Amino acid sequence: MERSIQKNGLINLLALLAVGVAGFAAARFSNSLAGLVAAVFMGLGILVCAVSWFQMRLEERERLEKLELEELARTHSGAALFEAQDAEVFPAQRSREQFERFLVPVFTVILFLLEAGGAALLGRWLSRPTTAAEVKDPVSGLALFGLFALVLFLLGRFSATIARLENRRLLRPGASYLLANAFLSVVVMLGLVGVWAGFTKADLYIACVFTGLLALIAVETLLQLLLDLYRPRVKGKLERPLYESRLIGLLGQPEGLITTAAQALDYQFGFKVSETWFYRFFEKALGWLILLQLAVLLLSTCVVFIEAGEQGLLEHWGKPVASRSPLGPGAHFKWPWPIDRVYRVPTEQIQTFDVGFTPEAGQERAVAMLWTVAHMKEENDFLVANRAESTLVATNQTAEKRTPPVSLLNVSVPVSFQITNLVDWEYNNEDAKSLLHDLATRAVVQYLASADMNEIMSHTRLEMAQVLSDQIQAAADQHRMGAKVVSIDLEDLHPPVKVAGEYEKVVAAIQIKEAKILAAKGDAFRTNTLAGAQAVTIVNDAIVESTARKIDALAQAALFTNQIPAFEAAPSVFAERAKMDMLVRGTVNARKYVLLTTNTHDVLQFDLQESIAQSMLSLNVTSPPPKSSP
Amino acid sequence: MRRNPLTLVIGILLIIIFGLWLFVFQVRTTEVAVVTTFGNPTRPITEPGAYFKWPWPIQKVWPFDKRVQNFEDKLTERQTRDNFTLLMAVYVGWKITDPAAFFPKFISSDDPIKEAERQLDRLLGNAKAAAIGRHSLSDFVSAAGGGTNFVAIENEILSTLQSQVRSNNYGLEIEFVGVKRLQLPQNVSQSVFDRMTEERKRLAEQLQNEGDAEAQNIRSEANRKAQEVLATARGKATEIKGKALAEATASLSVFKQNPELAIFLLRLNALEGSLKDRSILVFDQNMPPFDLLRGSATNWPAK
Repeated sequence: MERSIQKNGLINLLALLAVGVAGFAAARFSNSLAGLVAAVFMGLGILVCAVSWFQMRLEERERLEKLELEELARTHSGAALFEAQDAEVFPAQRSREQFERFLVPVFTVILFLLEAGGAALLGRWLSRPTTAAEVKDPVSGLALFGLFALVLFLLGRFSATIARLENRRLLRPGASYLLANAFLSVVVMLGLVGVWAGFTKADLYIACVFTGLLALIAVETLLQLLLDLYRPRVKGKLERPLYESRLIGLLGQPEGLITTAAQALDYQFGFKVSETWFYRFFEKALGWLILLQLAVLLLSTCVVFIEAGEQGLLEHWGKPVASRSPLGPGAHFKWPWPIDRVYRVPTEQIQTFDVGFTPEAGQERAVAMLWTVAHMKEENDFLVANRAESTLVATNQTAEKRTPPVSLLNVSVPVSFQITNLVDWEYNNEDAKSLLHDLATRAVVQYLASADMNEIMSHTRLEMAQVLSDQIQAAADQHRMGAKVVSIDLEDLHPPVKVAGEYEKVVAAIQIKEAKILAAKGDAFRTNTLAGAQAVTIVNDAIVESTARKIDALAQAALFTNQIPAFEAAPSVFAERAKMDMLVRGTVNARKYVLLTTNTHDVLQFDLQESIAQSMLSLNVTSPPPKSSP
Repeated sequence: MRRNPLTLVIGILLIIIFGLWLFVFQVRTTEVAVVTTFGNPTRPITEPGAYFKWPWPIQKVWPFDKRVQNFEDKLTERQTRDNFTLLMAVYVGWKITDPAAFFPKFISSDDPIKEAERQLDRLLGNAKAAAIGRHSLSDFVSAAGGGTNFVAIENEILSTLQSQVRSNNYGLEIEFVGVKRLQLPQNVSQSVFDRMTEERKRLAEQLQNEGDAEAQNIRSEANRKAQEVLATARGKATEIKGKALAEATASLSVFKQNPELAIFLLRLNALEGSLKDRSILVFDQNMPPFDLLRGSATNWPAK
């Protein structure tokens, strides 16, 4: 029996070695990061198994040595053999003691370094963005890791049972590693299932968790090493191997945790909770309950709920079930996964993609969309025809080094669409949305290349939206995409940022031109209005003058008629009187000098210059203040 | 040792699951597959369903998506017939039609679909260059006449590509080709920007000059109209004055009664009018009525 335990240790070692190599190969083959980290655990398990097996052999040698000595003691009583020192008499025992005293701590230190170093290196490796490669062939990986889990579980369970029943403590570390690696293999499988189901990061996340677990085990190993320094040594007492991890044991045999929990409950409640019928039932039926849970989980895949706005495609062993496709909103029964599968697509939802630009992820649209400011992450320059330039070049085909007769334009065209035929959408094209995007982009490129830039930017804008919508819809129908173009929105249509400033200057020039014309029209109106008024004034003045002239003429005639009798009555007096009256009236404002001198030989000089006004003479001119000396 | 039935059930379940995984595989309606036995393709599968196989490494299943794949090639620079250079990228729709022929040609790669697209990209380069070289720039960009010639260019690329694919028996078929991007090389784009800038500057200047000219025209027209109105008004005023003069002249006959007196009065009025403002008159003592001052004190200097 004892020999078989040693053999069992060797089998564990070889099995773990084989599974470790195969696990590493399988992980490399399927690009599974979790599988690769699990292979590191398997490698550590191989080391632990090898050391424990070696220790097992030493203990076996010691036991045989003791048996041999007991036999000799019976046959040669009182022999001097027993007078010799222990080291000479019990070499196997001495070897085992030396091994446990020196080599086990050294191995444990190495184990700690491997665990800590491995955790650090794996952590750094996994944090690199280039590490996460796409998982290949997850189904094969699933099958292989399932096989590894089965082999490791059966062997580990067998070894753990023997170790517990026969109190073979050295079999326990290897058994724990076998069971823990079986558990890790199952978790790797879950990660691969996640990847298969579309959760591409599942494998990476599990690899990170494994790395964290490795770091925890390293901490545990370090603590064990430190505590071992202060542990009291009792001769003859069998000790737990220093390199045996309790965490690994717990991972492989979680029922130990249940036992501990039961003991804690007993202590807390003050009576044996662990001996109640409920606890015993729960402990006994736990495995079946978990199986039942899994069965319910599998059965739950027999019902599928299609949400409002969605449709589903039902496939039976990969074949579409024509009589039930597409599934509308509501509950539907089907065979369990993986026999029947349903692919759900939001068909009612209006979906959108952008042509001509790449929007900044998560960035809000700017409040003001200016031509001179780039408002998208990437704006494509589309070639646009130029009607005037085309004509010009057509007449000058032989000229070399010409600038192409085209212009460049930035457009932003969000296209909204809806899936109308799910079967066509899902089954005809591998990436239908990408194809629709390409078809829309082609329509925009072609339209712009055959249209005049100035026309597009002004009056044919609405026509362009309609033509593009029709063309994209026709192309989608031609490729049997099962999609309806809901709207084409010419959100932005402007010259590239580099030349947008000059285009704005043209708009400004148009406004300046209009302003000048309006100012001139204002001036014209003023000129014409004033001219009209002036004309009226001239005519009115003429009328006034004419009237005055006529009245004056009549008045003069009347006066003359009355003056004739006066004149005839006293011609000289009348004449003199008239002259004197005239002199008085006419010279009122004239400057008059009367020379009464008799000295007629004197020369009189008159200064007829204008006299300076009195206000000018009294003008007070103040002189500037004198500059102050420094 | 008593066997735990739970362990047995779990073991059986695991064996069933792993057995199914190892021996059964599904081909979806969107897929075709090739089964290899020790690396040799032995069974192409084109119909969907569940199939049996021997476990790996005896047999291995290679599923491929049979729907139309869509890929975009690189933006490449090519020369047109009239010596312009263009950058063009196209999208190509293709699908696997013969998995048995497709498999051996591309399976050496980790991703046969991507490898097939790389091969198509190489073939596409030649087809594209040939098509662009046969056409002038106006076939790609033109607002005149019948517009561009996109469809013909795409059909030329498609037919060239299809014939190359068929002659090499790649096990796939090209469904369509479309122009996705059309650009100019960077330095040519810069010259287009320069031209567009100059064109805009010229247009802005032209607009401003047009504004000046039109404003000047409007003002000139207004001035002309104003002068016309004033001239008309002046003419009318003259006419009115003439009529008034004629009417006033009718009363001159009164002066014929005593022409001597009339002339005397006219001269007197004229003299009065001429003396009204800023006149300086120097009279001596003989001039009536200042002769009344004769013999009065004079301005002899005081002694």
